[in-house]
Parts: sequence; C-alpha cells; structure tokens
Amino acid sequence: MNATNRALNRLLVLVVGLVLLAAGGAVAVGALLPDVQQTVSGAASDASGPTSDALSGGQPWILWVVAVACLVLIALLVWFALRQGGGRTGTLLELSEGKGAGSPTGGHLVVDAKVAEQMLEEALSDTAGIVSVDVTAFRVKRQTVLRVTANARKGASPLDVRKAVDRAIEAWDALLGTETPVVVQINGGLRTQLSGATRLD
Amino acid sequence: MSTSSLYKRILRRETHSSRSGIAITLAVLLILVFAWIGTESVIAAVGGQALLVAPADAASATLDAASAPVGVLTAAGAVVAVIGVVLIVVALAPGRRGRRAGPAGDRAAAVVDDRVIARSLARTASYAGDVDPDQVSVSVGKRQALVEVTRTSGRSADLRSIEEAVRDELDGYDYRPALRPRVVLSKKGTVGA
Repeated sequence: MNATNRALNRLLVLVVGLVLLAAGGAVAVGALLPDVQQTVSGAASDASGPTSDALSGGQPWILWVVAVACLVLIALLVWFALRQGGGRTGTLLELSEGKGAGSPTGGHLVVDAKVAEQMLEEALSDTAGIVSVDVTAFRVKRQTVLRVTANARKGASPLDVRKAVDRAIEAWDALLGTETPVVVQINGGLRTQLSGATRLD
Repeated sequence: MSTSSLYKRILRRETHSSRSGIAITLAVLLILVFAWIGTESVIAAVGGQALLVAPADAASATLDAASAPVGVLTAAGAVVAVIGVVLIVVALAPGRRGRRAGPAGDRAAAVVDDRVIARSLARTASYAGDVDPDQVSVSVGKRQALVEVTRTSGRSADLRSIEEAVRDELDGYDYRPALRPRVVLSKKGTVGA
C-alpha cells in the first residue's frame, strides 16, 4: 500500500529482460547459422583494429563520454532504487480552524497515527483469535488510510477476526468523531506459526 | 469521498506484488556495472593503470568472441536469453501474493492471507469429520481450496459432513477470487491415531 511506482518497476524488469533476451538470442542463433557467424566474425576482426586505436588514447573524448553516460545512468538508477516504498505518514487527521459558521472553531487539531495505533491495539489485545495487531497510516490518493494488520492465531476463523476488528474500528470511529478509510489485513505470519492453536470455543 | 475506488486500489495493491525486490536487485547490479565501466573509462582517459580490464582490451575481447567456437557461443547466448525470458515473465505476470480480498464489509476493506484461510478450514474440517487436526491438510490455490483428509485405519471418515462444513464456512466469507472446496480422502491411513 506504499507509494511505490509499480509500473516503473515492471518497466525496468521488462526492459532488462528484453535486452538480455535479444542479446542472448542473437548470439545463440547467430552462432548456429554459419553464414551469419562468418559475416559477423569477419566484420568484428575488421573492426577490432580501429576500435582499440580509438579507445587506447587516439580519441580520449570517447572515454569521457562513456564515463559521463555511466554517471547519468547511475544517478537515474539510484533515484529509482531510493524511491521504492514510502507513503507512510505519522499524522492521521488534521483539522484547521473553521472558516464558516457551524464548523469547529478555535485552533488547529492534529491527531497522530500513534493514537489510533494504541487505541486499536489495546482494544484488540484480548481477542481470542488475534495474536497481535499493527496499525500504520498511509497516504493514498491524498487521503490518510489506516491499515490494521491483525496476526491471526492458528486456526482462527478470518470472519471472527474481521468482526472483532470491525467492532474495534466502530468504537474508534465513535471516539474520533469522524471516519477515515480503513483497510484490515488478516495475516498468518511468523508470529502465528510460533503461537499456539486457537483456544477451543 | 470516493471511498470505493480508493478501496479498490488498496485491495489491488495489497493482493499483488510490487516487484520492488527484483527491481532493486537489477538496479543495484546495473549500478555496479556502470560504475565499473565509468571508472575504467576515466582511468584509461587519464592514462592510468586499469583496475581489472582496460576498455580497449574489453572491446577487442568482445569483438574476438564473435569467432569463438559455435558451441560456447550458443550456450552462453541461450543462458542469457533464458534469464531474459524469466525477467519478462516476472514483469508481465500478475504477481499474486497469496492473499485475497474479503470478508467484505461496508466500513473497511479487508485482505486475508491464504494461509489463514487454510488453517481455519483445516480446523473446521477436523471438527466436522471428528479427525485429528494433524490428519487434515488444506492447500488454498487461486480458486480452489483442497482439503485432504487422512483417515485413521479401521475407521471411516465422514467426507460428506466435512465437505458441508467447509462449504458452509467458505459461503460465509465472500472472498474475491472466490474459493471452491474440494475434499478428498488420502489413500494412506494413519495407524493408532
């Protein structure tokens, strides 16, 4: 649910894949066809003289161009790798002082995501089917979305977990006085595996 | 507030991989390669000693490789091409993460891990069939939940009631993609359970 640009990830993987496929395929097929192999190796041996002249001191500007191109590509790739993830926010709700009549007045209100986290974790801590709860706030489409991750106990019914979380969210809505979008994630991760089976009910 | 389109987007993103792992790996590998080429170029341009291979030597070695034995060229090309195909498949496949949307509700969107569903179904099946939980194994695929029951030797297992219980549980969930139950009896039996 983070702000990763997934299309860009796919594009990078696809482009690298296509380049490898094209290069590998050309080499493999070219080597198998005698005509192609002869032509290419002839051309390559013709080209090897001028190439090594150009690269070993004859034309140093080529080397500088290569170096600059590498630097630009590295900068692009670093930017690409560092912009993965993100989108988390520490602020759940922000209300400014009201302008019109009827709106809340007096000051600026900021509700931290930690408040929701602690309230929901507390409310769900003694639910039979839940081992632990993590709550994080994300920015999605210019809205703050609360993600409640419930680690279910082994064998717990997802429906029961969902109902318990819904009740906790209802209580939280009543407390906050407004509704923020919520996504519930019912997980069976490592903590589930380490915990015992669900209590008989 | 268009909550439903927001939830749709969130559910899509939560149930499918972002491929950030492989994308970052490729980016780091490319960065290393470009850093090496750039460094060698600069060193060669100022006339220093090459780190590993001077650019001129590398270029001529590549050109010489065109007349290498056919078998070696073909094998190397094939390996590279296969890696390329794998990457293309990874890029274009849906990249499901073993989760599905549901149980649906008005207030919040929900995503459930397939393993949680499997364990819940296993418990339901073992209660319904009166078999030990260890004797039930459930695997949840894209559209099918396969419940495999190993019966105790000398006792019959009540497959019909297991199937009914599992179906009841799945009907209560409303998952997308929906799951069809399939209950099978394992050929092997367990002794003394």
